[in-house]
Amino acid sequence: MSSSPLASATSGKRVLSGPAIAGLALAALLAVALPAFTTGYVIYIANLLLVFVVLCLGLHVVIGENGQFSMAHAAFYGIGIYASALANRAVDLPYPFAMLFGALVAGIVGLFIGALALRMRDIYLALATFAFGEAMQWVFANWDSVTNGPNGLRISPARFGPLEILSDKQAYPFVLFFCLLMIGVTVAISRSRLGRSFRAVRESEVAAMAMGIDVRRTRVVAFGLSAAIAGFAGGMFGLFQTFIHPDSLGFQTTILVLTMVVVGGLGSIAGAIGGAIVFGLISEVLRQAPQYQEIIYGGILILFMMYAPRGLFVFIGDRIREVRHGR
Amino acid sequence: MAGETAAPFLDVVGLTIRFGGLTAVGGLDMEVAKGSIHALIGPNGAGKSTTFNCISRFYTPSEGRITYDGRDITRMPAREMAGLGIARSFQNLELFAELTVFENVLIGAHVHAGRSWRDAISARPRGIVEHVEHLLERTGLSAYAQTKARNLDFGHQKMVEIARALAIRPRLLLLDEPAAGLRNREIAALDRLLCELRERDGITILLVEHVMQLVMSISDRITVLSFGTKIAEGTAAEVRAHPAVIEAYLGRETTQETPHG
Repeated sequence: MSSSPLASATSGKRVLSGPAIAGLALAALLAVALPAFTTGYVIYIANLLLVFVVLCLGLHVVIGENGQFSMAHAAFYGIGIYASALANRAVDLPYPFAMLFGALVAGIVGLFIGALALRMRDIYLALATFAFGEAMQWVFANWDSVTNGPNGLRISPARFGPLEILSDKQAYPFVLFFCLLMIGVTVAISRSRLGRSFRAVRESEVAAMAMGIDVRRTRVVAFGLSAAIAGFAGGMFGLFQTFIHPDSLGFQTTILVLTMVVVGGLGSIAGAIGGAIVFGLISEVLRQAPQYQEIIYGGILILFMMYAPRGLFVFIGDRIREVRHGR
Repeated sequence: MAGETAAPFLDVVGLTIRFGGLTAVGGLDMEVAKGSIHALIGPNGAGKSTTFNCISRFYTPSEGRITYDGRDITRMPAREMAGLGIARSFQNLELFAELTVFENVLIGAHVHAGRSWRDAISARPRGIVEHVEHLLERTGLSAYAQTKARNLDFGHQKMVEIARALAIRPRLLLLDEPAAGLRNREIAALDRLLCELRERDGITILLVEHVMQLVMSISDRITVLSFGTKIAEGTAAEVRAHPAVIEAYLGRETTQETPHG
């Protein structure tokens, strides 16, 4: 019960709101219990959704926190997948090292793209990152000696010491663990001095500068971190997948992730997570009707943009408030 | 009072700013004494804001030198000003609109929040949160700490600009038209706050302002610009009586004789 009516009407939106935390807790409980009562296919979908959650967290850092467009996240994700798969094959170390290597390579590439982004913004930045994404897909498909080109690359099983992961069910606890870890990392970044400087730059570059924030460095770092998280998602993919093909790393994937982040609620971590799960499920369900997939997906997207433009979570929150106030 | 021989806290020498062929400010000399409130006034287009933006390093002068506390800052980047203890506000509000008032002011303390690794990763760095809360109290914003800046009324938004600038713990506070658009009650509160900052906190304040009620009441010294040059300087009483100032603001008597259409 806040003292000022104005304050109480508009306050309380920190990183995660109350209902969002409750929802996440419930989801987490279900997630942990999942393998006990489901089949392999459901577990496979769950693994994939968790990877998409992390990929969305990555995009959230650069778009949601820092306000910079990226249409290249399928490429960072792909770099993470290939780099961790190749590292896993090359050295005999536990799989997390391969994942870190994937995140590192993607992060370094992200820093370069971030430096490029200093020279442009908005639609120009969107186009430039789009071009980079297309170029990377071409690299994945044509750098035969490294990526095995259009035939795709076989990913050898992830190992944790003596334990070798051979099934989706086996991989699930690890995928869940790394997903929760990355949610924690993203929340920590968002709450830190660095996260505050990301948002300051998003809101007003001149004011950020007057507060002593290095705007250029902040924008490059946001891109690098965002790409590293996407690369980590790529490493997570290798936990349960045995094969990667360049076709799945194109513009469609970028658009899917962008949709998840925007529809979930731009600028909120809970929104990015919720968007990844809801739209991941929708796109998976629609796979059952491939001939109508695109049109149904597009229709749903238009409806969301019309009736819930500020994101799924804000929309649900508003409805709950309306019900509470008896309207 | 101000008879010390010490170098001025802020010293502007021969400041000239040209935009293409236009000279916005030509050869301005201005000294701001430590611990004073110094106002920069003049009719619209006199070059006040241009001068202000040069001192806060958002513009770079074509000629001249700006010295702050014995250090030449003429060519330093704007983002290094906060670290030197120079804070500024913005005429047209540059708030972090989607963030809360608390977060706006907390970001003002950016240069102080990274002293240790623990502070840098903390959402509520020790010592700094207390200072932010203290500043919110002094600027009358405590009740709005968790309100998004964009949801505040204009008067409170202007106060957030000042609170955020104060979070830098400035020694020199640059205010660009802080009273513009405020109601009388709000101007009175601003008047009190600025005097308190000078007396209790020892902050030197340079303000560009059109609201004469505020300028005449709080300024130790006033510099008057017209068409990019200094036409008068002195205390409120001296400036008010200066013929060139009267002419710049009211026009020469002969101009009243010019025929009208």
